[in-house]
Amino acid sequence: MIGNIAQPLLIIEDSDEDYEALRRIMHKEVVLNPIFRCHDGDDALDFLYHKGIYNNNQAVPRPAIILLDLNLPGTDGREILAQLKQDKDLKYIPVIVLTTSCNPKDIEICYRYCVASYIVKPIDINRLVKTIHSFLTYWLDIVILPDAVSK
Amino acid sequence: MNTNDTTIPFQVDLSNCNKEPIHIPGSIQPHGVLLALQEVELTILQVSNNTFDFFGIYPEQLLDQHLSCLLEIEQINLLQDCLAHEDLPVINPIEFCIKIADNTLYFDGIVHRSDGCLILELEPSSSEKNNTFFRFYHQVKLAMSKIQGAANVIGLSQTLAQEVRKITGFDRVMIYRFDENWHGQVIAEEKPEYLTSYLGLHYPASDIPQQARQLYSQNWLRLIPNAHYQPVAMIPLCNPLNNQPLDLSRAVLRSVSPLHIEYMQNMGVTASMSISIMKNQKLWGLIACHHQVPKYIPYEIRTACEFLGQMTSVEMSNKEDSEYTESKIHLKSVQSKLIEYMSGETNFIDGLINYEPNLLNLVNAQGAVVCFNSNYYPVGQTPTTADIQNLVEWISQNLQDEIFYTESLAQVYPAAEKMRDVASGLIALSISKSQKNYVLWFRPEVVRTVDWGGNPNKPVEVTANGGVRLSPRKSFELWKETVLLKSLPWKSFEVNAALELRNAIIGVVLRKADELAQLNIELERSNQELDAFAYIASHDLKEPLRGIHNYSNFLIEDYGTIIDEPGKEKLVTLIRLTQRMEDLIDSLLHFSRLGRVDLFMQQTDLNEIVHRILDMLSGRIEETGVEIRIPRPLPTVYCDRIQIGEVFSNLIANAIKYNDKPQKWIEIGYLEHPSPTTTFYVRDNGIGIREKHFEAIFRIFKRLHGPSKYGGGTGAGLTIAKKIVERHGGKIWLESIYGEGSTFYFTLE
Repeated sequence: MIGNIAQPLLIIEDSDEDYEALRRIMHKEVVLNPIFRCHDGDDALDFLYHKGIYNNNQAVPRPAIILLDLNLPGTDGREILAQLKQDKDLKYIPVIVLTTSCNPKDIEICYRYCVASYIVKPIDINRLVKTIHSFLTYWLDIVILPDAVSK
Repeated sequence: MNTNDTTIPFQVDLSNCNKEPIHIPGSIQPHGVLLALQEVELTILQVSNNTFDFFGIYPEQLLDQHLSCLLEIEQINLLQDCLAHEDLPVINPIEFCIKIADNTLYFDGIVHRSDGCLILELEPSSSEKNNTFFRFYHQVKLAMSKIQGAANVIGLSQTLAQEVRKITGFDRVMIYRFDENWHGQVIAEEKPEYLTSYLGLHYPASDIPQQARQLYSQNWLRLIPNAHYQPVAMIPLCNPLNNQPLDLSRAVLRSVSPLHIEYMQNMGVTASMSISIMKNQKLWGLIACHHQVPKYIPYEIRTACEFLGQMTSVEMSNKEDSEYTESKIHLKSVQSKLIEYMSGETNFIDGLINYEPNLLNLVNAQGAVVCFNSNYYPVGQTPTTADIQNLVEWISQNLQDEIFYTESLAQVYPAAEKMRDVASGLIALSISKSQKNYVLWFRPEVVRTVDWGGNPNKPVEVTANGGVRLSPRKSFELWKETVLLKSLPWKSFEVNAALELRNAIIGVVLRKADELAQLNIELERSNQELDAFAYIASHDLKEPLRGIHNYSNFLIEDYGTIIDEPGKEKLVTLIRLTQRMEDLIDSLLHFSRLGRVDLFMQQTDLNEIVHRILDMLSGRIEETGVEIRIPRPLPTVYCDRIQIGEVFSNLIANAIKYNDKPQKWIEIGYLEHPSPTTTFYVRDNGIGIREKHFEAIFRIFKRLHGPSKYGGGTGAGLTIAKKIVERHGGKIWLESIYGEGSTFYFTLE
């Protein structure tokens, strides 16, 4: 068992296959944190600002940690990042970029926006499992996350 | 003896003053006596009619007599010694003393030869002159050292005027310079406060006619002690030996032209002296001295001034030459700067006009324009674009040479008269005749360029008694008339600098063309590589992909009964992913090839195209129940039918795909406004697009929705449509209200 039931995790990922891989690994690790998924950038922004289909505040908590893919349909990951880091209420949420892009420009931009980590998705399933495992252990178990619920 | 023919007084006025025979006036000024002697006997042939005033002897008593009737024998011996001298004027003056009654009078004897006669001029002098040489020697020496120290021609002239005024005591001393056309300008002046300044004033060439200039070149110095004199006739008027009037070109006492006297009077000048400044045996200018009351300058001082004039001539030439050399060096540096700027800029023209120094500095022009590929790039003061256009047209039709220049454009191109303010002078440099590429330089009318030194608006009082009156002011007006529609002349080294620039420009243009060609070669190569990449992508990447695809299918076929439902679902996903991968690769290949395929342009009936596309999409149309609206028949346009078909196909397919309304419709039509190009549109009542994505959606592989929504897609369709529209010279854009529908517009040029 890993994580904290009071700290929701938001995963912004357009690829069903990638999400499925992630979900499988988390299921095995028995992650306690509530998990929310947004399929694209606009969806994610609606989630974070409680707009559109997410306008019910009770059902939509503020995430304690965000897992972000960069290449998204519509508003892409870089734009979400820019928007989040400008917002004084949201910018403290740790954002971990999880992407297929190893473009140095993307890496630089993301760190300029103060992402907490930048992780490249490995193709090899074994390495992917290891990577996600390390991520979950570190971010959900070792690190103390900001208290999201009280905000 | 027939003297009458040659002594009829020549009636002079401004119209014929250039023909007045001023070297044979038949009379002299009265401040001395002139004798014409026959050598070697020294018989008096002619004598001025004022001997009685000086010696108490009537001229008739002297004629045909030996000189000894006037001079004592030892003085005649002295004279004869001197006459043996090779260079006669060097011995001047010879001091004579003549006893008249009880008095001894002292004279400066000045001799020269003319027409085979010996001319002896006697000017009374003071007896004490022993130390004058040293006095003037020091003054001249001092003056010379100051003159040599002057920085440039103007500075030198200023010093010269000062020193001559100091030595001679004239009211006004001016340095007067002639230009190429013998128009003169006062370039330096020394005068008391109360006199009007003539500094900077211009005088027409006619003020000092050709024969007067001739005399100035022959004699370094000319003195008129009192313009109000009564001329003294020669007796007899003609030389008895050859029956010709005596040539007095080099006589210091020579009578003054009546016109010149009048000129002096107009200027309020009674005494004048001028010293020539020569350059390369040519009259360069004058030191002009004026005095308001009569003023006699003794021979020694005149000699000192003459010496100063001669020395200055050398200095002036040096200074002018070195200024000339300096400007040439300066132009060289301007030239190399221009070449440097040209090479540094992508467009060489920017290098010619955007910096300091620029084109203007190269030839000292006030305006310039680079005419290149029908564009005009002006700098400084230039005619209007329309005027330049006409001028360029005229140049290209009339001028064959690489370079053409004129200081009076209106003379050859009458239309230039209205641009006199900017373009009286022109240099036209042809870079390429066929392209009508030129560099043009302009200079304004010189009247607008001259430096108005002093105050030309304060004319000197002129007593009006009929006829044309000359004053500096009047002369300025005359000069103005003679230089109308003219600019300052282009100097030969300026023209050469322009010509040299031509080579530089051609060099730079050719080099740029070379660079461009090189770039094209590289571009060609990279295009080929891209092509190769696209093929590798389509073949080599597809091979393993096919393997995955086929093997997944084999799994379902062979083990379908063993694998449970979730397992089968995973295999189906796998197959779907391979298909998507193939779509992406195909789109990439298609897009990369798009720009390289030649357009096959023809008149195309768009109705045909659209109906073909609708046929192709009929399956999906039926499936979704979308209503297709075409409010009016589409026009026939000139385009590539295949590619435009693809544009419609992409837009219509998108419109079908992105629609969640129960009653779906698509409208295909065109607007005639804004003209002149027709704007086509494909409108739908679909899901709409947020404004922030209006530009992004045309980027390749940029999608707005997840692959599972709205039937997926590679995100290449709109990019391809955009590229096709742009290749047709048109543009594509959209309007949309999120949630209500979108309209994609495009034009075709």
